[in-house]
Amino acid sequence: MANIGVPKRQTITPKGRFRWIVHLFPLPALVIYAMFVVYPIFSAFTYSLYEWNGIKQGVFVGLKNFLTLFSVEPFNTMFWNAFGHNVIYFLVEMIVQNGIAFALAFFIYRKLRGSGFLKVAYFMPRLLSVIVVGFLWKLILNPNYGALNTLLTNLGLGSWAKPWLGDPDTALLAIILVNCWFGIGFAMLIFLAGLQSIPEELIEAARLDGAKGISMLVKIILPLCMPAITIMTIFTFIQAFEAFELVYAMQGSMGEPFRSTDTLAVYFYRLAFSSAGGGDVAIGLGSALAVVLFAIVASVSALSLYLMRKREVQH
Amino acid sequence: MKQFRSRMAASIFLAAVMTLVGCSGGGGGSGTTDPGGSTAAPGGQTSEGSSGGSQGGGEQVTVSMHSWRVEDTEGYSKLIQAFEAENPGIKIDFKPFKATEYNTILNTALQSDSGPDILQLRPYAPGISLAAAGYLEPLDNLSGIDQFPKDVLAAATGKDGKVYGVPLSLNSTQFYYNKKIFEDNGLKEPKSWDELIAISKTLKEKGITPISFGAKEGWLLSLSHGVIAPGTYNGNPFVEKLVKGEVDLTSPEFLKSIERMKELVPYFPENYVGLELNDMRTLFATGKAAMFINGSFELEGIQKLNPDLQLDFFPMPTEDGKAVLTTWVDGSYAVNAKAKHKAEALKFLEFMTTQKFGELFANEFKRISAVPGVKTTDPLVNKMAELSQSSSTPYIMVVHFAEGNPTTKQTLENALQGMYLDKMTPEQVVQEVQKSAASWFEPFKK
Repeated sequence: MANIGVPKRQTITPKGRFRWIVHLFPLPALVIYAMFVVYPIFSAFTYSLYEWNGIKQGVFVGLKNFLTLFSVEPFNTMFWNAFGHNVIYFLVEMIVQNGIAFALAFFIYRKLRGSGFLKVAYFMPRLLSVIVVGFLWKLILNPNYGALNTLLTNLGLGSWAKPWLGDPDTALLAIILVNCWFGIGFAMLIFLAGLQSIPEELIEAARLDGAKGISMLVKIILPLCMPAITIMTIFTFIQAFEAFELVYAMQGSMGEPFRSTDTLAVYFYRLAFSSAGGGDVAIGLGSALAVVLFAIVASVSALSLYLMRKREVQH
Repeated sequence: MKQFRSRMAASIFLAAVMTLVGCSGGGGGSGTTDPGGSTAAPGGQTSEGSSGGSQGGGEQVTVSMHSWRVEDTEGYSKLIQAFEAENPGIKIDFKPFKATEYNTILNTALQSDSGPDILQLRPYAPGISLAAAGYLEPLDNLSGIDQFPKDVLAAATGKDGKVYGVPLSLNSTQFYYNKKIFEDNGLKEPKSWDELIAISKTLKEKGITPISFGAKEGWLLSLSHGVIAPGTYNGNPFVEKLVKGEVDLTSPEFLKSIERMKELVPYFPENYVGLELNDMRTLFATGKAAMFINGSFELEGIQKLNPDLQLDFFPMPTEDGKAVLTTWVDGSYAVNAKAKHKAEALKFLEFMTTQKFGELFANEFKRISAVPGVKTTDPLVNKMAELSQSSSTPYIMVVHFAEGNPTTKQTLENALQGMYLDKMTPEQVVQEVQKSAASWFEPFKK
C-alpha cells in the first residue's frame, strides 16, 4: 500500500482496540450468502437423499433418486434428451455468439468509425428482460402473422416460411439464436476488455517484426486474448447448462414441441414444480437433478478453467 | 491483466455456485416449513392479517380465503358483498395468487399451520390428496351439499368417501362455431362424425379454414381429444368400464379417437403445429376459421375479442346417434381443518350452495355454476348448463388420468404432439399412454 502523498490524518485504517471491528463488516453479506447460497446447496443435497410424498418429506432412501433419474423410463430418456440439447446450446453459442462477438469486439478495438455508438447498440438487447426478449421473438417468429415469415413471403421466399417454434427441427435452434442475439453484447464487452488490456508495446513490437493482418490476429492478438476467451467459454458453458428463462418464456415448461426444446433446467422445473400440469411434484428427483446439474457445471467449469489457464500466455 | 483474470475467476466461481442455488432455492422454499423462501411469505402474511382482524374487532370476524383466480378478484368482491350484507359481523378477506404458484403457496401455508380459513381446492387428485393429508374439514353435514350430483362432488370426495369441498363451477369443452359462416354456406350442426368431416370439406373448398387448431400447446391437445374421444366410445358406459379396468386405453374405441384427431389435420390452419391459443382464438373470433374446439372458460374471451360474433356451439355427436358434452368440475371451495374461524367459514360455504350464489356467480363470470338449476342471462351458458345435466361425460384425462410423473395426461399431450409432427403413429400414441397409466392406475395393474 502506498501511503506516499496521503496525509496521515486521513488514513482510514482503524486504530487500537477497535481494529477487530473491521472484520464484522462483511458479516451481513456473509449471513445472506450463507442463507441463500450455502444453505440451499446442502438442503438440495439432503432432499435428494429422501423419498418425497408430494411436498412431505419421507424416509431416507440414499441414492435411489439418482438411480431412478438414470435408469428408469421415462426419466432417463428425458435426462439424456435434455442433456443433448444443453450441449447443442453450448456449441451453437460458442460458435455463433462468441464468434460474432469477437469479430465485433475486434472491429471496435480497431476504432472503426462509429465504434462508440456500435458498442452501445450491440449491448442494447442485454438491457431487456429475458422474458421480454422471449415474448418479443415469439411474436416475430409467429408462423402466420410474425414479422419473419411476413418478410420472407414478401421477398418471394414464402416456401422458407416455417412454424419456427412449432417445428421440432427448428425450435431449439431458434431459441439458441435468440439467446445469441441477446448475449452478444456482453460477450463483446468481455472480449473488448481482453483486447484493450494487451499492452500497446507488444503490438508495436510485433508490427516491427512484420506481423500484420491475419497473422497478427492469429499469432499475436488471439493468444494474448486467451484470458478473456477462457472466461467467456466458461461463462457460455454455465449459461448453456443453466438455460431456462428463454426456453420457458418461448415454449413453456413442457419442452414443447415434442420435448425438442427441453433443457436440464426446464426438466428440473417440471420435476420439482410440475403443478402446472397437475401432476405429482417430485422434490426428491428434482433435487437429485439439481445436484447432478451442479456437479456437471462446477466440475467442467473448474477443469476447463485449469486446463485453459495453463495455455494462457503471460505478459 | 492478472487482476482482470483473478476477478473473473472469482465471478465464475460465484456464477457456478449460483446454478445450484437457482435450482435448489425454489425446491428448498417449497419443501421447508420455516418461512425462509419467498414462497412462504404470502402464507405468513395472510395468517397475520386474519388473526389481527379477529382480535381487533371483537364482534367483527375476518375470514381469510385463498384462490388461484387473480383475474376474478373484482367479480368475487361482488359475491362477497352479497354474503356480507346477509351476515353482518363476518368479513371475507379474499386473497388470490397466481395460478401456477398457488399450489406451492397453499401447501407451504398448510404445512406451517398458517393456511387460510377457506381455500380453493384443485379438482380431483391434487385436491383429494390434501384431504388425505388431513388438512381439510369434512363437509358431509353442510346444509345444501346434498343437492349436488355425486359425479360433481367426486371432484372433492376423499378416498374415505367424505366430501371435502363445495363445487364452484363446471367446465365444459365443445366445438364452438361461427353461426354466420355456417348459414352463409348452408351448413347445419353435425349429427355424426361423417357430417363433421363433410362440413369441414365444404368449408375448405370455399377457402375458409374449417377448424381453428394449433398443436404448440400440449394442454389444448388433450383438451381437444377430450371433446372428440367420447364421440368414438359413446360416452359414459365405456368410461365406467375403463375405471374398473375392464377395458384399457389400447382398446379399439380409444385408438379410434386418436386416429380421428389425425383425420382432422387437412382441416386445420396453415402452420398449425406452431399455433398457440392466442392465434387460434384470433382466427376464430375474426371469422377466418369456422370452428374452434375449446372450453366454456374461453366464452368470455371470444366474446370480448369480437362482441358481434354470432357464436354457438355443438356437443360431440356419438356413434350411437346421440350427443355428449365433455364436462368436469373446475375447483371447489374447502375449509381448513385448522381454520381460526371455522363456524364463519362454513357459513360462507353454505352460502356457496345457494341458488342466489349460483346465479350471481354464473352471471358475473359467464361460467356454468355447479349449483343445479341455475339460470343465467347468457343463452350459451344456459345451453351448456342444461347439457351438462342431461348428457355430460367426464374429461377422462383430468378426472381419472391426471396422476403419475409425468402424468398420463401430459404423456398423451406429448405423444399427440409427436403424432402431429409425424414422429409417432396413433398406435404408438396409444401404447405410450397405456404404459404411463399402467405405471400407477390401480385397475390397470391387475
